Amino acid sequence: MYDKTVRRRRAVLVLLVALSLILLTAYFREAPGGGLHSVQRGFLTVISPIQDGANKALKPVRDLFGWVGDTLHAKGQRDELRKQVERLQAELIARQGDERSYAELLKLFHLDGQISAADYTPVSATVVAKSPSLWYQTVTIDAGTARGVRLEDPVINGEGLVGKVTLASSDAAVVSLITDSEVGVSAMVNSTGVSGIVQPKVGDPNDLLLQYLPTRPIPNPGDYVVTAGTVAGKGESLFPRGIPIGQVSSIDENSPYREVNVHPLANLHNLDVVQVLTTVPGSRAARLASAVASLPPASSGGGEAATPAGQLASAGGGG
Amino acid sequence: MKDSGAPASLVVRIAVLGLALVFVQIGVISEVPVLGVSVDVSPLLVADVGLLCGSTLGALTGFAVGLLVDLMLVQTLGLSSLVFTVIGYWAGRLRELRDPQAALTPLLVGGAAVATATVGYSLFEFLLGVDAPVSLELLRQMVLEVVLDTLLALPMWLLVRRVLYPSLPDDPRRRRRRAYTTGGLSPLSRT
Repeated sequence: MYDKTVRRRRAVLVLLVALSLILLTAYFREAPGGGLHSVQRGFLTVISPIQDGANKALKPVRDLFGWVGDTLHAKGQRDELRKQVERLQAELIARQGDERSYAELLKLFHLDGQISAADYTPVSATVVAKSPSLWYQTVTIDAGTARGVRLEDPVINGEGLVGKVTLASSDAAVVSLITDSEVGVSAMVNSTGVSGIVQPKVGDPNDLLLQYLPTRPIPNPGDYVVTAGTVAGKGESLFPRGIPIGQVSSIDENSPYREVNVHPLANLHNLDVVQVLTTVPGSRAARLASAVASLPPASSGGGEAATPAGQLASAGGGG
Repeated sequence: MKDSGAPASLVVRIAVLGLALVFVQIGVISEVPVLGVSVDVSPLLVADVGLLCGSTLGALTGFAVGLLVDLMLVQTLGLSSLVFTVIGYWAGRLRELRDPQAALTPLLVGGAAVATATVGYSLFEFLLGVDAPVSLELLRQMVLEVVLDTLLALPMWLLVRRVLYPSLPDDPRRRRRRAYTTGGLSPLSRT
């Protein structure tokens, strides 16, 4: 009797471990359109209404915890924001005149046709699930292909760029955050216009790194980093130009390329409502996105991470 | 409890508890970061089930919870199942071989389970080709996650035990306690 119990216990363990390893290997080796991925998408479709309901039911609990955290930080943030408002008011007055002149110049030289976030159709969605793992920087939202969400669509919130859609079912989609290791964004320092690629900072899943910058001009801490409106190669999403990504926190002078640490502006830990920038079929933004999708692979052959900024394929050019 | 013939009510309770906790984990706990990291109670649930119900049910719960997490979060299928199966089995074997009685056992087992899950995940991610060196910041986050999760080990143990206890068959520990308190069944009293 004892031997039988021991044999069965060991058999169950071996069976479960073998099953896990088979799943792991098969999933890792198959293409994104493969059987296991399809099962996962189907499961997401089935579970998303339940997730949505559970999310709404549990929102008060989440808000309570969030309220405690927010209250602790509120006073410091208020003082900091007051100083920022005073500084920005003065800056705004100085820039208003420049802005008017700039718009006139753009029209004069027919450069005012650049694709921006305004050319996209925003679809609002609620975050219904978030991975607790350090290794998966993804969230699930309650909007899918039925509402026009497609793969690679940019996702933003009121603070800035959040990520891109990496999996879409009919009623839900998975968004890989900009801190996910699979996401790279062509970006530029807003004050100087120098461009590079923003990627997650390896070893620090909550921060970003702006890489492949030219040696001059040097960005300053506090400078804003925005999307450049370009792509570095096939497979990268086209993010409309000018979406805020983050703020320069420090600069690594010892790196062979100049590396700039960027702190994301969007609070990626506490996402509630986001907007997916979808394209209407036939629109200028949609045509541009499909043109970008047909770009040849980056000539470096090493994917977007190895593509220097100099090889960026401009896709946001106007006129 | 013997592994053979687990009562249906116990299996149902484990299934309901597992489903509810995974939903709460994904919908609430993950979205409330503490000191920059998300707390994960799934390994604690699996370890507690193993500690209460034995290695076979522990391993089965680990596999099922892992699969559910991977399916719901669209993560690499099989990764959480593998790590959680090992945790559930190990916690169950610990109970079957040592039957630890100390009040802090759930805390220590929970801490070990969380550490195993965090390190196991990281090892597999490195093996699967994630381009991330072992940095101080990453280690800090992993340690912080283990510490925060371990702080929840005792409340989780109390919750899991409360839910599963009515369906647990008499186990040696409960028999022994009753034997000594009734006064007539202690081996010493027979001499």
